[in-house]
Amino acid sequence: MNWLTPEIGGIAAAIATPTLVILYFLKLRRRDMEISTTLLWKKAIQDLQANAPFQRLRRNILLILQLIVLAGVCVALAQPEMAGKKLTGDKQVIMIDRSGSMTSTDESDGRGGKTSRLEAAKKQAAAVIDQMRDGGLLASDKADSAMIIAFDSQGETLQSTFTSDKELLKRRIMEITPRDGPTSIDEAMRLAKAQSPQRIVEGQGLIAGEPMAIHMFSDGRIPDAAKATPGPDDNVEFHRLGQPDSANVGIVGIRSERSFENPTNLSVFVSLQNNQPLERNVDVEILIDGTGKGIKSATIPAASKSGLGLNGAEEARAEARQREALQATGVKPVDAPATTKDTLQPGLTGVVFTIDRSDGAVVQARVRDPGSGEPPTGDVMSIDDSAWLVVPPARKLAVALVQPGGNLFLSSVLSGLPLSRLVELTPEQFAQRAAAGSLAEFDVIILDRWLPQGAKKSPGGEAPAGGVPPPAGASATAGAASPAGTPAAAPAPAAPSDADLPPGRYLILGDAPLRLSGQSSGIKVVGEGGSSAIVDWRRDHPLLRNVNLDGLNIAKSRKVEVLPGSGATALAWSDAGPILIDTITGDVHAVVVPFDVAESDWPFNVSFVVFIAQATSYLGDDVDGGALRQIQPGTVLTDRLPPGASDASLKLPGGASQTIGIGADGRVVFGPLKDVGVYELSWKGTAGATDTKTDAGAKRYYASSLLDSQESDVAAEDRVDLANKQALAQAKAPEVGRKQLWPWLLLAGMGVLMVEWFVYNKKVHV
Amino acid sequence: MLPTITPTRPKRMDDLLTSELIAKLDPLDLSSKRVFFGKLKGERRSKKRGQSVEFADHRPYATGDDIRHIDWNIMARLDQIFLKLFLEEEDLSLQLVIDCSASSDCGDPSKFLFMQKAIMALGYVGLVNLNRVSATAMGPGPGSVTTSLRDLRGKRRSHDLANWICSLNPGGTFSFREAAERIAMARRGKGLMLVFSDFFFKEGYEQGLRRLVGHGYDVFVVQVLSPQEVEPPITGDLRLKDVEDGDMAEVTISAPLLKRYKAMLAAYCEQMRTFCARRDLTLITVRSDTPVDVLVLDYLRKRGIVK
Repeated sequence: MNWLTPEIGGIAAAIATPTLVILYFLKLRRRDMEISTTLLWKKAIQDLQANAPFQRLRRNILLILQLIVLAGVCVALAQPEMAGKKLTGDKQVIMIDRSGSMTSTDESDGRGGKTSRLEAAKKQAAAVIDQMRDGGLLASDKADSAMIIAFDSQGETLQSTFTSDKELLKRRIMEITPRDGPTSIDEAMRLAKAQSPQRIVEGQGLIAGEPMAIHMFSDGRIPDAAKATPGPDDNVEFHRLGQPDSANVGIVGIRSERSFENPTNLSVFVSLQNNQPLERNVDVEILIDGTGKGIKSATIPAASKSGLGLNGAEEARAEARQREALQATGVKPVDAPATTKDTLQPGLTGVVFTIDRSDGAVVQARVRDPGSGEPPTGDVMSIDDSAWLVVPPARKLAVALVQPGGNLFLSSVLSGLPLSRLVELTPEQFAQRAAAGSLAEFDVIILDRWLPQGAKKSPGGEAPAGGVPPPAGASATAGAASPAGTPAAAPAPAAPSDADLPPGRYLILGDAPLRLSGQSSGIKVVGEGGSSAIVDWRRDHPLLRNVNLDGLNIAKSRKVEVLPGSGATALAWSDAGPILIDTITGDVHAVVVPFDVAESDWPFNVSFVVFIAQATSYLGDDVDGGALRQIQPGTVLTDRLPPGASDASLKLPGGASQTIGIGADGRVVFGPLKDVGVYELSWKGTAGATDTKTDAGAKRYYASSLLDSQESDVAAEDRVDLANKQALAQAKAPEVGRKQLWPWLLLAGMGVLMVEWFVYNKKVHV
Repeated sequence: MLPTITPTRPKRMDDLLTSELIAKLDPLDLSSKRVFFGKLKGERRSKKRGQSVEFADHRPYATGDDIRHIDWNIMARLDQIFLKLFLEEEDLSLQLVIDCSASSDCGDPSKFLFMQKAIMALGYVGLVNLNRVSATAMGPGPGSVTTSLRDLRGKRRSHDLANWICSLNPGGTFSFREAAERIAMARRGKGLMLVFSDFFFKEGYEQGLRRLVGHGYDVFVVQVLSPQEVEPPITGDLRLKDVEDGDMAEVTISAPLLKRYKAMLAAYCEQMRTFCARRDLTLITVRSDTPVDVLVLDYLRKRGIVK
């Protein structure tokens, strides 16, 4: 039993009780009436009429009843409430996982059926809200307050300020809808901590913020849990949703590739995952534009203790550490078998479809039960049973090579590539074509040891935001207008020496641009350096796949730095700094090799040929935005439409349409995406190279698939290892019931009042 | 119970006695359980030997006897002188006492009007039968007697009686004990006495009635209650004010309280009846809505006051 406002109840009782007794001595306001004699009336009431006050009170049931009513009201004012489970903090943070795995339907709905983990989480969260202490009528400051954060790949505060309004909080919880994206708790935890920042108190130094109770409703499949750092005094309660033995088969990867020799030959790779310790046979269907094009059987190996994961041993060691930690703290794991289970590594397999198709297409792969054609039996999550892919049309690239002098190595390599066109340009020709706007005919432009003068100048200070015209004209030396369709290239005439690179895709060798299409390239040239050797490179990047840079020696390097927060990414490093940078600024996509290739032994290495081939392919594929059209749920769809596009609308996978505003530079932004499926963006105006033309304009497709191994492994975890805490699953759902008693006390008071009224009418009374 | 808002005050004898009632009253005569000595010759047989035509007894002659009463026939036969004694016929003294306090002027119909009519009827019967009728109004005044009327005889005086009754104006309060003492001291001879009142005296009726008992008077106590006193028609939270002394009683009328009041009234009347019975007084409790002829011809006749 808690008392929310005992002082107020006590004060009210101290004032009201004597007042009632005093008032009781005061007479009723009676009607005067003359009668012949009061003799008999006096006799009639004589034995009831007490002479002394306390005699009068002693037998006065009405006063006793009124005192009972008063006691009821005063106790009600003190606002007692039945003890539910005591919540530790005054501030509660409700964090609800709404990622793809939370759509798994393996929670009981209480009626014998199944419901999704998210629905169960919402219900449990509402129960936690119900359990919060109420401030009651007169002590709202004593109420527990809560905020609501939902998270998938990002965190979102649905109730950003702490409030005690339970109805509002529950409404916010009920508004949460599932997202088909992956899980990341780091941002959500930061949002929570932002509400209770650390403070500097004089004499004490930095102290932690007000402790909070963080209720985490999740299935525990949180890959970045170790990044989340709750405050030292925060109490993290992990409410586990889902079952540790839930089965799921899903597509965790899909990719297409056209044959280098024959681009009409399209290969689609589908990766499948099974999280059960049993082998699964499934059929994989491939559909192109909704029509079945093939079906293949696949056997997915069982999930195993060691699994197919490369870091199985590390996992086992981590598990041993955690067990030791648990024993040291005296905490017994909730479910020992489940603890063993969660180290199972899912079984993986892949299926390859080879299709002859030169046009672009929307490819869908889906997992089916063998024979029945239905989704896999026992599968608790359906969103990863299908995956989509937007495949660009097959074509060969047109490449321009700009170099002041000849470069035998480069020319030889390019001539060996299956390009539709290779044009060698001098810097003057490049400038002319830039001025004429005819550079757009090339998919990739290779600049070898030469850059326009403007590209070597820093834009000054911070890079301006996208769409802002450059300080100097982006046009070519002639000063003519930039090519149509490149809005970022302002038509204003500029000094020829200030012209930088017009919009396009560039492979820049032997130099480093500071400005690209009027914006900062994200690269800072520090100076010239001496010889250097390769330190590391990003082996997983498409640009460097199968490229071995080991043994590459650079005789004369150029020291550059990648500005943090810019669009530039370093992909390879020598001991002198980055030697390969991928940078995207607005309309320019450039791969920069700052050192002079001729001053190294790279041209003699086979990796140089592979790199040039992959770089042209990588940059050329970006023409149609192929990479941009594969979007994971939870991220933002952002793209550019051709010039003149208007009335853009996006058709969502569910069939609903939504109008989207088009920015001044043709940019459209939508999201974050909630659902998996195909998003169809249509607009009025011209169609791009890979867009589908329609009567009114054009259409472009985007594929959104989960493709997340962690999310597809739906087995619920029993604990979440945060950076500084370990949150164990709650043994059971929180008990409901912090019952406010004051309404009942008031009702009881009313009842006694009724009895008093009855007695008053029945009783002989003075 | 409640004071009569516009009390009906009789102005002449006709207001008190209707001709029909007079016709009914004419054959009646007063009666008493006892035979009293009268003062004047009347139509009532007296214990005294007197001059009526009815023979009573003989007795020897003594010196000084009136020789007119000698029975000459006996003297002739026996040669002894005997006096012939006859029964004496005397009048009856009727004392009517009316409560003239404010409380009498309550009720609907008014208790006072009822009492006025009742004493008029009885007085009329007394006067018609050549009895000596006296009347006393108890009320504010010296000795708690407002006014009184003495020794009326003969039917002709009935108008005097009526005028006196009509002149009475109830109001104020008095001491019943004092009034009773005064009446007891002032009366002469013996006879009937009828006391009309509600007998709701704060000081008690006992002392007063004790003073009226004795002295050879045959006392009848007529308690007049208004219908409202028997069945109070009041409700709600009230402050009851006594019309006589202004005494207050705060009550909240409820069914149990009314029940208790009625029980109290019954007990009061019963107590009074017992008191009267012990002292050879006759108590008659009557409601003011009772017709006067019913009172006289029924109640009083049954109790032998009139015949």
